[in-house]
Amino acid sequence: MKMNYRMAALGAAFAVAFSALGGPYAAEARVESFSEDTITLRIANWEDYIDYGDWDEEETIELESGDIIGERNMVDEFEEWYEETYGKKVKVEYSTFGTNEDLYNMLTLGDVYDLVCPSEYMFMKLMTEKALVPLSDEFFDENEENNYYIRGLSQYIRDIFDSHEIDGEKWSSYAAGYMWGITGIVYNSDVVSPEEVSTWKFLNNPKYARQITIKDNVRDTYFAAVGALKSDLLLSDEFRNAPDYPKRLEEEMNDVSPEMIAKVQDYLQEVKDNAYSFETDSGAADMITGKVLANYQWSGDSVYTMDRADEDEFTLSFAVPEEVTNIYFDGWVMLKSGIGEDAEKQHAAEAFINYISRPDNVIRNMYYVGYTSVIAGGDDQRIFEFADYNFSAEDDEEDTVEYPLGWFFTGDNEDEDYIITAPSEQLHRQMVSQYPSQEDISRSCIMLNFDKEESEALNRMWINVRCFNIRNVPVWVWVLTAAALAALIGLYIRRRIYIRSLE
Amino acid sequence: MKTWKFSRKSLGIPYAVFLLLFVALPLLVLVYYAFTNGEGHFTVSNLTGFFTDPNTLGTLCYSFAIAAVTTLVCLLLAYPTAYILATSNLKRKQVWLLIFIMSMWINFSLRMTALKEVLTLIEGNLARYPFLNAVVGMTYDFLPFMILPIYNTISRLDGALIEAAKDLGANDTAAFLKITLPLSVPGIISGVSMVFLPAMTNYVVLDMLYNSTYIMGSLIGSYFSAYNWHGGSMIALILLAIIIVFTVATNGADDSDRAGIGGALL
Repeated sequence: MKMNYRMAALGAAFAVAFSALGGPYAAEARVESFSEDTITLRIANWEDYIDYGDWDEEETIELESGDIIGERNMVDEFEEWYEETYGKKVKVEYSTFGTNEDLYNMLTLGDVYDLVCPSEYMFMKLMTEKALVPLSDEFFDENEENNYYIRGLSQYIRDIFDSHEIDGEKWSSYAAGYMWGITGIVYNSDVVSPEEVSTWKFLNNPKYARQITIKDNVRDTYFAAVGALKSDLLLSDEFRNAPDYPKRLEEEMNDVSPEMIAKVQDYLQEVKDNAYSFETDSGAADMITGKVLANYQWSGDSVYTMDRADEDEFTLSFAVPEEVTNIYFDGWVMLKSGIGEDAEKQHAAEAFINYISRPDNVIRNMYYVGYTSVIAGGDDQRIFEFADYNFSAEDDEEDTVEYPLGWFFTGDNEDEDYIITAPSEQLHRQMVSQYPSQEDISRSCIMLNFDKEESEALNRMWINVRCFNIRNVPVWVWVLTAAALAALIGLYIRRRIYIRSLE
Repeated sequence: MKTWKFSRKSLGIPYAVFLLLFVALPLLVLVYYAFTNGEGHFTVSNLTGFFTDPNTLGTLCYSFAIAAVTTLVCLLLAYPTAYILATSNLKRKQVWLLIFIMSMWINFSLRMTALKEVLTLIEGNLARYPFLNAVVGMTYDFLPFMILPIYNTISRLDGALIEAAKDLGANDTAAFLKITLPLSVPGIISGVSMVFLPAMTNYVVLDMLYNSTYIMGSLIGSYFSAYNWHGGSMIALILLAIIIVFTVATNGADDSDRAGIGGALL
């Protein structure tokens, strides 16, 4: 997700200042003042991360199974749907946040939410801190018609959420996925060749000095740096064919030993000197205006970047480096501090997750946000239909390729019902960033949540990379400064003596 | 019991309350965080940490350098402008002045985006000159703050002093160096303090012009987003201390200069 973390951090700084005064009271004052038959649901989500509606007529998604259009804000629609379906009024207080860290700071300072949508490492952190309420058993009942989430969840994502544990508890017991993506490189294919961007070493490629922008955040840069530094190992057949490859890949990529951190710091220092800049939210714009040739980007944002460039008739491409890619998730979790033991509220929160997992709503959100939903649709074909609608080749297109997506939609990549016949150029375009190939995905791994000490070491490393080291001050600057200081003092003394002589 | 009566002093109450709530209290919280560690125990390690880390010290130097060069450039641009404007026979001087400070009325990020495009046109690739870009951006942003106070001081100068100097045989240069320049020092000082201090922390300019090196403002931000409120508060406090020292020092210079001017005029 887009982040402007320094702004957020400053906000947090002010919040800190006031927490001592107003924190606890402010939190209490928020307790609902609605009548008893209305459930108040406080939701915090990323900015621009759900369909706000108001689409133009021509934006209608014309699937064979029917048109889909976002006319109104999905949150409002949920309130109506809930009342119609369950006969209870619900009022959603919807807020947004800019970064995971921002959300965490808000929670620490006493803001109360019932349902929030952080990235995987942040819900792992919240799980570690025992701050979450587990999802109910009813939520996982596949026979219940309105349980769109569990009935539509992609088998692949489901396995990941089931196989990862925190303190012996599965992710899936606490978190319901929302959107997911991978990391890769958006590039201008007129200048940069696919071979060059097929490795993380690209970020340090002197041929493109000062022409690459890089995400301004420690986790993403660390991942890319480790990918580049361990490139030889990660690409070796021996490593790839090892029986426990996925496990070993995860270990290698989550290596935060002091030696590795030191190496990454040196490496990132070089990257900083080679890059155009670290960017927080100018990545897409700089690619489109042609200021830079490549941008280290999240797949969801890369879709947006390429779409925007297409409007200007300017073609950009997306590459997934061959060593490894970082697969990440944003997931809905319920907070103890908000939901507590309130079963009605929990029901409404889970219904919200189900509502936005209904295939037509999934398509609206994916269209609006650009990211890929964890929902495959189950029996409902519409989500695949939407992918096919987006990427399949025209009838007269000659250069096409068969692109199987069974790995995501059914778990069986051979499944003939889930193959898109796409123009070959889509292998480097939106299709591959929205739905990576099974091969790319087989080389993906999760970046875990690090404990306090490890996180501190990482943050320290990042600050060191970004700071100007005093040892790099050239000698002439020291001399000049000393001379200027001496001159100032001299002038001051002369003036004093002069004044005294007048007295 | 003494009954409360409305007096002129009461008019100050709203401001006093504001000051207490939004200045004094946050400052206390800041001091608390700066001198405690994660467990809430008293510590000075945040302070010593700052002054022993070559990276944080380097950031201080880098911010200082950007601020110093920006101030110098602003001064070199602003003084002649203000001087010409204040001493010329132009009609509607205020209108001319407005033209110079008009850029302030345009939204900051809009101005910076425009500057970014202009600089890209000139430099080709912005990323090659990060320091220069920072200085240009800051100068663009802060120049009006330098022009205004200098213009005000010069335009209030008593013209008779210069006439007197010329009567006593001083040529134009001597009259400027001995009369106008020393008498406009207070304007220069207030201009400098309005440019130098903000320029040390205004990291948004650097962000928008693609300078990826931290200055003091961004350093504080990075501490907070790493949940290190203690370290961040300490840096904010150090910055505050620098500002206080700077202000006191310039006030001192101000006084002595006034004394000096008085002396020179004797």
